[in-house]
Amino acid sequence: MKKVLSFFRSMRFGMILLILVMGLSLAGSLVPQREQAMTYVNAYGAQTATVLIALGVTDIFHTWVFYTLEGLLCLNLMLCSLLRFPKIQKAAEALQKKALETQPDHPLPAEQRETMEAFLTGRRFRRDIRPEGTLFFKNGIGFYGSFMTHLSILLILIFGSLVLMTPEILDETVMPGEALEMEDGTRISCLSFHILNAEGELDYASMLRAESADGTRSAEQEIRVNEPMRFLDYKIYQQTYGTAGAIRILNEENEAEDIQYLTEPCFLSIDGKNGVYFHALYPGFLQDEAGNYTLITSTAGGYLDPVYHIESISDGMSASVLAFPGETLHFGAISFTFLSPVEYPGLRIKRVSSALYSGLYFSFGLMVMALYLCFFAVPVCIKTNETGYAVCSPKNQQGLMIDLQALLEKKESDQT
Amino acid sequence: MSFLFFAALFTFFLATALQFAGVAIKKERLTQTARIVFLGAFLLHTAFTVWRGIEAGRIPLANQFEFASGFAWATVIIGVVLYRRLRQEWIMTAAMPAAFLICSYAAFQPMEIKDLMPALRSAWFALHIGSAAFSYAAFAIAGGLGIGYLMRLKNGKTEEDAKLKQMDYSAYRLICLGFLLLTVVIFSGAIWAEQAWSSWWSWDPKETWALITWIFYAIYLHQRLRMKWQGKRTAWLAIIAVILVLFTFAGVNLLLPGLHSYAMAQ
Repeated sequence: MKKVLSFFRSMRFGMILLILVMGLSLAGSLVPQREQAMTYVNAYGAQTATVLIALGVTDIFHTWVFYTLEGLLCLNLMLCSLLRFPKIQKAAEALQKKALETQPDHPLPAEQRETMEAFLTGRRFRRDIRPEGTLFFKNGIGFYGSFMTHLSILLILIFGSLVLMTPEILDETVMPGEALEMEDGTRISCLSFHILNAEGELDYASMLRAESADGTRSAEQEIRVNEPMRFLDYKIYQQTYGTAGAIRILNEENEAEDIQYLTEPCFLSIDGKNGVYFHALYPGFLQDEAGNYTLITSTAGGYLDPVYHIESISDGMSASVLAFPGETLHFGAISFTFLSPVEYPGLRIKRVSSALYSGLYFSFGLMVMALYLCFFAVPVCIKTNETGYAVCSPKNQQGLMIDLQALLEKKESDQT
Repeated sequence: MSFLFFAALFTFFLATALQFAGVAIKKERLTQTARIVFLGAFLLHTAFTVWRGIEAGRIPLANQFEFASGFAWATVIIGVVLYRRLRQEWIMTAAMPAAFLICSYAAFQPMEIKDLMPALRSAWFALHIGSAAFSYAAFAIAGGLGIGYLMRLKNGKTEEDAKLKQMDYSAYRLICLGFLLLTVVIFSGAIWAEQAWSSWWSWDPKETWALITWIFYAIYLHQRLRMKWQGKRTAWLAIIAVILVLFTFAGVNLLLPGLHSYAMAQ
């Protein structure tokens, strides 16, 4: 049991896991992920595609192998963090003890001792006068750097997985003026949407209003690509956008009016027989001298001269027609008026615990701090006495040694 | 004003040539001149970067050209700071060609200034991309030191040579700095991605390769700190790691389309 435990917490095991994660990530980056089977058949041929799909390489980051590796990495980090912690305090004490026992190996003339002590005090070394000499100690917190680094990776893996796996995500398009109602009764209304801002730059901004089910809480915010809205447990992102055709339907008998937004082919009719079949909305058209139209399909330049391609169906007869904004078609008492196209946003509505995000972001901060402690706050203890000085540290202190030598050489040349 | 960039590029080349000649024939005057020329190139490059920033109305790190240019600029800064501290010729021998090669890569990229696309208009932009430039720069010089280390070994020096030890240690410290900054890059990118794309991690090729690079350097650091790997082995690791860095920087954008494809499209 002890042997097994010791293997699971060993650095060798950790390295093997890291190499395997690296290898799988490499494969996952080279083979497109989560595509249709035909994409792989077209790219690699039927046989290779079958093997890739069977091995899970086409969705490698969601295979049991990858999850197992992640789990084992958590176990390795947990064991090595837990077992490392008690050793930290001992290591700090051992360093000072070692420094006291070490015989100075660098000469320190008496006249330079004061200079060096002033230099070390200026560098925030703590001074401790002992019978064996004066100890200068710094960066005791650096002993915790490695422990904190491993702990933060563990926390990132845990919080990061929870954040990725737990949210309820809903992708919805919503027309300006319309609202979405969530399962808990929260209403999210789109007040307006624009692609270009006042300066004519791409902006993709939606003005949203959110209201809680009981109406006690509400908020309004303009959201953009990098500025999502947070309301209660919801986070609402500006995800996509589109342009829809719009048609006003008027029943002249009872003055009833309705506006329909057209994003996909549909048949608009009251009696199910006569009406308009919407094919598509085109951003523009070209007309030759003979009066023939060529429809522009590219939306790159925007909908400058929008045109509706429809089928007018009346008394069993149908005719393919181009309709322009402002035109009206009559079918008995019903009239269809084509309006200017409407730009609308695609929203991603995510429901996730903010505590999980706080945990994840805390772990990020902890890790950056921990790495700083690891690399740039290395514990160091310097012993000085009448015979010279010695530097003790768990890591190489070449930088400090260079500074000390430069300081002493400068002092010597000043005196000369 | 792009002549400033090409003037800087030419001056980087001149500095590199003088440095190599000085090292080859052991003429200190030549390496001294190389350093002055290198500083001149840095000033030209800085002037160009400042001009471009003013012209674009933003930090000039938004596309492949600007990032490569920023990467070269960061390489010079790290090289000069390290040289000022250690006063060792081999630092410049690594930093000068690195800056020149990265600048040359930039010269082949489209240089026109475009408005920042909405996805890049974020408070995280400067931190994420700025720390990437400095992180890659630290790794690039560390890789250069690795090459220098192996060349000196081949020329008959032993691993016990004081200069080689210093080179090895300097490469390690640069990797520590680069690793810390790469961590900042990944985390700031994750927070930014959560705001922009609603997910802090999407296994996008750029993210995945940043992780691969990070893991590789983590392995380097573990081998060095715990297994006491030094010298030849760590020099090789530093060189291999730079290949990963360069692939993450340029190869992914060219070969593996993903959410970061705007780096080329911008």
